[in-house]
Amino acid sequence: MLPVSCKEDSSGVSEPQATRLRVWGHAGREAERRTVERQVQGFNEETDDVYVDLTLLPEGEYNAQVQAAALADELPDVLEFDGPFVYNYVWQGHLIPLDQYVSPELRDNLLPSIIAQGTYRRQLWSLGQYDSGLALFGRRSKLRIINARIPDTPERAWAGDEFEEILYRLAQKDVDGQVLDLKLNYKGEWYTYGFSPALRSAGAGLIDRTNYQAAEGVLNSAEAVRAMSRIQEWIGAKGYVDPNVDDYAFLGGRVALSWVGHWEYARYSEALGDDLVVIPLPDFGKASRTGQGSWNWGITRSCANPEAAMRFLEYLLGDDRVLEMTRANYAVPATRSAVAKSALHRPNGALHLYVAQLSQGYAVPRPRTPAYPVITSVFQQAFDDIRHGADVATVLNRAAAEIERDIHDNQGYPPQREEGG
Amino acid sequence: MNATRHLLRYLRCERVVGPFLAMPAMLGLVLFVAVPFVMAAVLSLTNLRLGSPLETKFVGGQQYERVFADPSFQRALLNNGIFAAVVVPVQTGLALLLALALNQRLRGMAAFRTLFFMPVLFPMALVAVVWELIYAPGPSGPLNAVLEAATFGAATPQDFLHDRMLALPAIMFMSIWQGVGFQMVVLLAGLQEIPSELYEAAATEQAGRWSQFWHVTLPQLRNPLVFTALVTTILAFRVFDQVQIMTQGGPVDATTTVMFEAVRAVFDRQQVAQASAMTVVFFVMVLVVALVQRVLVRQRREVV
Repeated sequence: MLPVSCKEDSSGVSEPQATRLRVWGHAGREAERRTVERQVQGFNEETDDVYVDLTLLPEGEYNAQVQAAALADELPDVLEFDGPFVYNYVWQGHLIPLDQYVSPELRDNLLPSIIAQGTYRRQLWSLGQYDSGLALFGRRSKLRIINARIPDTPERAWAGDEFEEILYRLAQKDVDGQVLDLKLNYKGEWYTYGFSPALRSAGAGLIDRTNYQAAEGVLNSAEAVRAMSRIQEWIGAKGYVDPNVDDYAFLGGRVALSWVGHWEYARYSEALGDDLVVIPLPDFGKASRTGQGSWNWGITRSCANPEAAMRFLEYLLGDDRVLEMTRANYAVPATRSAVAKSALHRPNGALHLYVAQLSQGYAVPRPRTPAYPVITSVFQQAFDDIRHGADVATVLNRAAAEIERDIHDNQGYPPQREEGG
Repeated sequence: MNATRHLLRYLRCERVVGPFLAMPAMLGLVLFVAVPFVMAAVLSLTNLRLGSPLETKFVGGQQYERVFADPSFQRALLNNGIFAAVVVPVQTGLALLLALALNQRLRGMAAFRTLFFMPVLFPMALVAVVWELIYAPGPSGPLNAVLEAATFGAATPQDFLHDRMLALPAIMFMSIWQGVGFQMVVLLAGLQEIPSELYEAAATEQAGRWSQFWHVTLPQLRNPLVFTALVTTILAFRVFDQVQIMTQGGPVDATTTVMFEAVRAVFDRQQVAQASAMTVVFFVMVLVVALVQRVLVRQRREVV
């Protein structure tokens, strides 16, 4: 299957040699992995003059491997990465802007959230096949016992007090009073992905997004302290939250509500069937907010033939490929046309809530700044402290100061000359 | 003439052959210990960041000021101190007890020795994952269930790894469980080296078992004991795997360590210079402990 062999095989007719693209992707769950491999194979069979050579790297150490390859000047032509890392990679000068290569049709077809995630300093740097979302998965039967209203759209989300009233009533009927799963068994990025939307919903955030320089007064604002104190109370004083060590709290029927991303739909729907409901996250004051963003593709500076790379990305973004992938991982298809063809995601589909959240402004991209790796690491530590009962205001003050110190150390992450592209 | 020849031979042997033979080891030491340490020391005086397009600048002692002012790093230093102060004596003492108990000529003793040694063979990552399950909160957690049964219900279920008072002891307990077998084997070998004549002589002198232990066993075991204590101390300062897997330094820094803080700084926050400063502090700390132990051991040797 080496591209050079094409030349020899082709009965004497001299063909231009195929462009070989080195592509790095993440080795996700098995279904995702197999899909990506199948699609690369499909592209290579359909395309004569471009050959994609795919390497899958383990997810856990992905960023470290990219950084190592960058230092050694051995980045591939096309690189996949987790959404919020794109701004750091752009700043480090690893990627090229895609604006001149993306067709207007494709751009119009992409969900606004995908464009938002891939855009940094008014240029587009990355494209994804799918997007993500948060929601509360609920057991309809348990919610019915306490006569809870079940919201089906983000604008009708439970208000903070209403949500706490529901938790209280569920706890009254529960053996151990633990009725909510916050996936406290997850580690790392989950804290930022899963709980920074609560900050936004309260009118706070990780950082001031006007120029991404200040965290003081945003991450440690009164609204932020109130929102995080609420979550701390659910876990601590009120004891509503199952520690979920076995990742079976919701499936085993120990809790009525599970606060998690779309990826649990596969397991949950299989086990619960019609008893499963998908509910928007509660509104902490300024409307319900969800996370967004997922794995993305970008073209690196070392790519000699960006047009060929773009053909590969356009192929991946074809409806059939997008739908094949989202059938494997239950994520939200990244294009409007694919959403329209997905029964689960169309209006009235079981997962339409995620599409509504992404397309109606309820989803917030993680901060679009090269400081993101530091912001997320600091917030993860802060949330872990809050979860374990530390004083919320003290923790958030320290976190805000640490983030600002990093930004100051990096001279505010000034735009680099290469970013002009 | 004769003297010159002697001198030449001496030179050839000591000055030339000696260093020549030591070269491979010295080269390794320089390449893998001295150079990285000097690099870390130099980097710790800069503001180097992983992958940053900005210019690296010399910032003097700023990273050290920050590191020492950081509450997490202060707590890490304290935790490393507590860990070493508890684990080294307890683990060594326990290993000695086990070695004494297993130094009997009974049938099936080899099986017991193997059992106690086995945890040493498991990778720490595996042991940590298993103990995370053992420490599971709630009445159904294995350790909670055992404690409840053993105390006839007096012990209430604990969330060991998420309790600020219990998390560090829980990590220390599993570390001792994992590491004690190694010291036990070293001490067991030491015990078997002790000539039985010494015990026979002691018995003739009417020495009881306790007295035999104090005046024969312990002095004879001095070298293996010194060795195990030294190795355990260094391992105690290096503790990282179980923290990374079981608690990520939490709850609220209760289990964080110097190594954990350094790894977080460089790999999560791309702060190479700050992590370098942490590792330099760490190196100096371990060096001081090793030197102190060396001095103590040498003094005892001179007395004996």
